[in-house]
Amino acid sequence: MIEVRNLRKNYGKLEALKGISFSIDEGEFYGLLGPNGAGKTTTISIISSILVPDGGEVSINGKNIYTHSRESKQIIGVVPQEIALYSDFSAMENLIFWGGLYGVPDNELKRRAKELLQMVGLSDRANDKVSSYSGGMKRRINIAAALLHRPKVLFMDEPTVGIDPQSRNLIFEVLEKLHHNGMTIIYTTHYMEEAERFCDRIGIIDHGQIIAQGKLDELRNDNGAKDAIAITLNHADERQISALQTFWPDSKMADMNLYFYSQDVKTDLPLIIRKCSEAETDIRSIEIQKTNLETIFLNLTGRQLRD
Amino acid sequence: MIKIAIKDLMQFFKQKRTMLLTFLLPIVLITLFAFAFGGIGGGSGDSRISLQISDLDQTQTSKKAAVLFDSLKGLEIKPTELSIAQDNIKKGKESFVLIFKKGFADSVNAGYNPPLELQYDEAKETEVGLLQQSLIPTIAMMPFSLGDPKTTMANRFNNMAGTKDNTERAIIKERSDKLFDDLSAAMSRSNSSGGSAADFLGGNIKMTKLIAANNDNELGLIQAVAGTAVMMLLFSVVGIGSGLLDEKQEGTLKRLLYAPINPLNILFGKMISANVISILQLLVMFVFAALCFGLSLTEHLPGTLITIAATAFACSAFGVFLASFAKTRQQVQGLSTMVVLVMSAIGGSMMPLFFMPALMQKAAVLSVNYWSIQSFYDVFWRNLSITDPSFLKKIVVLVFIGLILNALAVIMFRKNILKLSRGNFF
Repeated sequence: MIEVRNLRKNYGKLEALKGISFSIDEGEFYGLLGPNGAGKTTTISIISSILVPDGGEVSINGKNIYTHSRESKQIIGVVPQEIALYSDFSAMENLIFWGGLYGVPDNELKRRAKELLQMVGLSDRANDKVSSYSGGMKRRINIAAALLHRPKVLFMDEPTVGIDPQSRNLIFEVLEKLHHNGMTIIYTTHYMEEAERFCDRIGIIDHGQIIAQGKLDELRNDNGAKDAIAITLNHADERQISALQTFWPDSKMADMNLYFYSQDVKTDLPLIIRKCSEAETDIRSIEIQKTNLETIFLNLTGRQLRD
Repeated sequence: MIKIAIKDLMQFFKQKRTMLLTFLLPIVLITLFAFAFGGIGGGSGDSRISLQISDLDQTQTSKKAAVLFDSLKGLEIKPTELSIAQDNIKKGKESFVLIFKKGFADSVNAGYNPPLELQYDEAKETEVGLLQQSLIPTIAMMPFSLGDPKTTMANRFNNMAGTKDNTERAIIKERSDKLFDDLSAAMSRSNSSGGSAADFLGGNIKMTKLIAANNDNELGLIQAVAGTAVMMLLFSVVGIGSGLLDEKQEGTLKRLLYAPINPLNILFGKMISANVISILQLLVMFVFAALCFGLSLTEHLPGTLITIAATAFACSAFGVFLASFAKTRQQVQGLSTMVVLVMSAIGGSMMPLFFMPALMQKAAVLSVNYWSIQSFYDVFWRNLSITDPSFLKKIVVLVFIGLILNALAVIMFRKNILKLSRGNFF
């Protein structure tokens, strides 16, 4: 359904995108993961045809989005990272305005707005000014505003940033419902647990490049599918770290954390602790990290996703 | 485009503080300026110049002269003894005393200028100037007004000739009397309302104010309303135009760009809403002036509406242009305050143009204020019809200014706003 080929974008001397390619099937939930500044929003902006790339192509349903811009925009819904709503308007007024821009007839618009307000759990606050809403409630309306024209594709750019658990759960319910109804969703986030929970496939983006993509299991297998024994040290010199890494070659140092990768934590953990003790390191804490996207990202880049 | 314009209007009317600043503040300022420029209460007795008169001659003629001055509009005559009058001036209670000196009647009867003296407080020289304007025509014609015009005319001719010879003086008088009678007869024949040579001599000089004739409006009031309205409108439209930058900052501009609309429609919608609000603001101000200060709005409705529409078009284009030109709201605020104040100062919003030096009056044509205020003068003061070329020229200039600024706004919007909304996404 969506085909992105060799997308490039520069901001002055900065290469924001360095030839990104991926494809998304109809009804798929695709997660675009990466730290801040990786190029996620630039990618979304180009695919939603408000930003012109310096190179590459994007097509939706086989049609180039630049030669069929209006048509493409009509089938795309975008939930921006910012809460892009008019705070002096009520939720209902906001929904009617944003839906109206897509040519939804007035009577139909009101019906859909009511439906969506119910879906995001804000029917009882429909006529209150958005400025009186909590951050989470605004986020929910922000999502609803992108759904009034019933888009086939929904781009969601970090839709759960800075919200309360209740709103987060409500948004998750909405996401599940939309996915269940067959909507194609591209979801950018740096919350691994969200990607793990919803995404059929995941693309990991860093420094303007997709460094890995596939289903979660595929990503795990491609990366050895090992759990990590994370040991945080209060102090360690190069000699001590070198001794430990020689003892356990499948390990990595990041900040003051030493990651020992293991397929059998139960057996390997006592061995590693004993070796740390022999090397006279000062251990602050030990954490077992099951293989997840965070670990995969760390394996791929040597950095934490939220750095 | 219409949806965006309606949205902008809804936003405007939901913001009570903006509404107050748009409508209430200009009304307060109009009221203040209307008082300052004398448009309000201009016809009441309070504004008459107080003139003490000390009659040292105490004759029938001097008393008739006092009555003559008393009949002058704009003067409040106070017969006062000279010493008291002088004391009043020294104490600051009064500004002048006009003294009818002894021999006043004799001079008038002999055809000479009457012996008058005006004593005044030097600190009140501006008032002295105004007083002189009121008194000079009356004083100049006093010999004809107070004495027998026929005799006065003959005496004047004899005085001009300077002869002491009685025969010569008699001849001059005879010829002068004949001239007076011929003039009176001729004027009676040609003028159905009647007349005499005395009228010709200026006893009743008719002074016609060409523009003020049949004018129900006070010049000061028109200046106050038009000048303040345009200046306040410029401030308001900058705020409306700046909404574009708010949209950029709050992310709604980007969301608008996601929609299947032409990006320029966002700007055009803003232009429409700015025009509607501008027209409303001007209408409110003129209706207020009509209701509270008696500005004759209904008699000049077509011209007023055309000028309001043209002014709103030019001013709203100015606001949208500034917002497109600047990159942040802070820039707009700083820039607009400076530009609006300069335009208002040179354009005649803050004070009437005739107070300014010639160079400044020439520079006035560079401001929107000038063309708008002059159009309002055409409508309310000069009573020009809406088809008058002089009026139409000003309207065309306002529309032209609007078109140019709107075109520049489109260019700047593409260059600044769209570019900014598209940058820094990652």
